[in-house]
Amino acid sequence: MSDTVNRDDGRVVHEVDGIQELDNHLPNWWLVTLFGTIAFAVMYWFTFHVFDVGELPGRAYRREMAELAERQGKEVAMTNDTLVDMSKDPGLVADGAATFTSTCAACHAPSGGGSVGPNLTDEYWLHGGSPEAIYQSVRDGYAAKGMPAWGPQLGGRRVQAVAAYVLTLRNSHAPGGKPPQGEKYATR
Amino acid sequence: MIREPKSSLRADGGRNFVYPADVAGRFRAARKVVFVALLAIYAALPWIPVGGHPAVFLDVARREFYVFGGVFNAQDAWMTVFLLTGAAFGLVVLTATLGRVWCGWACPQTVFLDGVYRRVERWIEGPREKRMRRDRGPWTWDKAWRKALVHAIAIVVSLVLAHVLLAYFVSVREVFALVRQDPGEHVEVFVAVTALAAVLYGNFMWFREQFCVVLCPYGRLQSALLDGDSLVVGYDRARGEPRGKATKTRGAPAGDCVDCQRCVVVCPTGIDIRNGLQMDCVGCTACIDACDAIMDRLARPRGLVRYDSQNGLAGQPRRVLRPRMLVYAALGLAGLTAAGLAFGGRSDVEVNVLRATGAPYVLDGDAIRDALHVHVVNKRSATTTFDIEPVAAVGAEFLVPIRTVTLAPLASADVPIFVTVARADYRGEFPIRLVLRPRAGGRSREVAATFLGPEAR
Repeated sequence: MSDTVNRDDGRVVHEVDGIQELDNHLPNWWLVTLFGTIAFAVMYWFTFHVFDVGELPGRAYRREMAELAERQGKEVAMTNDTLVDMSKDPGLVADGAATFTSTCAACHAPSGGGSVGPNLTDEYWLHGGSPEAIYQSVRDGYAAKGMPAWGPQLGGRRVQAVAAYVLTLRNSHAPGGKPPQGEKYATR
Repeated sequence: MIREPKSSLRADGGRNFVYPADVAGRFRAARKVVFVALLAIYAALPWIPVGGHPAVFLDVARREFYVFGGVFNAQDAWMTVFLLTGAAFGLVVLTATLGRVWCGWACPQTVFLDGVYRRVERWIEGPREKRMRRDRGPWTWDKAWRKALVHAIAIVVSLVLAHVLLAYFVSVREVFALVRQDPGEHVEVFVAVTALAAVLYGNFMWFREQFCVVLCPYGRLQSALLDGDSLVVGYDRARGEPRGKATKTRGAPAGDCVDCQRCVVVCPTGIDIRNGLQMDCVGCTACIDACDAIMDRLARPRGLVRYDSQNGLAGQPRRVLRPRMLVYAALGLAGLTAAGLAFGGRSDVEVNVLRATGAPYVLDGDAIRDALHVHVVNKRSATTTFDIEPVAAVGAEFLVPIRTVTLAPLASADVPIFVTVARADYRGEFPIRLVLRPRAGGRSREVAATFLGPEAR
């Protein structure tokens, strides 16, 4: 379509149906990106596959999973004492409160005073009021009575956090709470 | 002898940096209005609330998408296929009819470059001749401070544009919060926005028309999308040639083109429109305004360079309706119709029954118990309360501890449900059904699951 092109020097390399293709150079900036990617590929290959300096995503994933497994392996068994200690950790209790609001409050009321589920703020407990018993109730549930097993859904840490939070609710007597159910548990 | 056509790229691979001259005229004025409007829309969309959320808020991190009051999550992504198909064919129809109006009037590359960055350059560095002379000349104090100021402003503008784009993904409030934070607290976002600003700066201060000429696939598709009847910016060869300076004697038969080069110096991609339709032309209309001004001065009719089809420029009649237009339009409408049906028919709640992990069923004395949970996602733009009711089944006893859930937009809940059947009544697997009813009214949803138990004896 261009009538000022006059290629008499033989630089026209193709001509099909009157359409000419010229043998112009590629733009210099384009060549810079091409050679740049080649240089990057070489550096990448040496970094990750020859000298093993870098960490490929697969290996990073395996390392992080191994670290997680190690951390979880070190987790202390849940005894009454460790759970009471946890209930004095403000960060963990705040996490537990958040989970409680989103997950447990539907049945136990946002205050813990109970609605469908029992009152968690009095001295009476259906399945034991010791820290261990509460932790176990959250983790394994009482399916027959409508309490699901939250362990598989929430994971270990969040179950611990919720149990720690529930320990702070004990004997707080939320106003408007449900009448007591179960046996009295005397807190030391 | 080789005469290369005017271009921003040289045959040896070098680049002719383009210094577009100032141009004034009706298209320049209209384009200014369009640019201001588009820039205002770009900046305003994350601020305008529609249905309690920004008009456009694409929360990729949480997979929550708010678009003009519509609420979407990642599960709705399939709808965009139809929308994009419809929009793509819409653009094809537009191109076949009106040529590169998108490129010249609405493309962000053009709007930001012509509407913002080149304005700054023109303001600090002056008109074309001054800019060229200064760039060729030695480094003086005058050149140094002007260059430094232009680039400093360009960097600030790039940072602002990048932060506005960030607001589309994290909301305006979050952008202000992030800006006040130490970058160390959000390294990834900081790096992404800084990199985006750097790309914008490099693109608009250096790369410029190379994007349209070499990179943009839409530009490269023009030769397939345009035909002889599409509107293009073109030069009326029959009227203009033979070009030459206006002579008083009027001896030689001269065309209307006086070869003043105004159309060439105003071109932002550095081409000569008189060489005919070229891929480099982004249809910016600068050469139309430039030529019209010259024609006015010479008291000749306007339109030596004008919006016209190639057939029109060749003196033939123009057709608007062509078979290809109907095909493109039909395909575009099919896409948009499918998208409309998909949007219209989408459910305002997502509900699934899942089996509790661990055991398919539990044997409890004389009873078989299945523990299930219902996953509910509210996809309305307002907080909604849902009632969950089991559909009675013979012999099955339902325990639904949570019968009502109240969910904010795109919030979800897991509702445990226990179904008990006496072992003596169990005759094999059977379906159990639940109804989810929005309290504010609207369609109820029924979901089904299967009650599982041991082999019936």
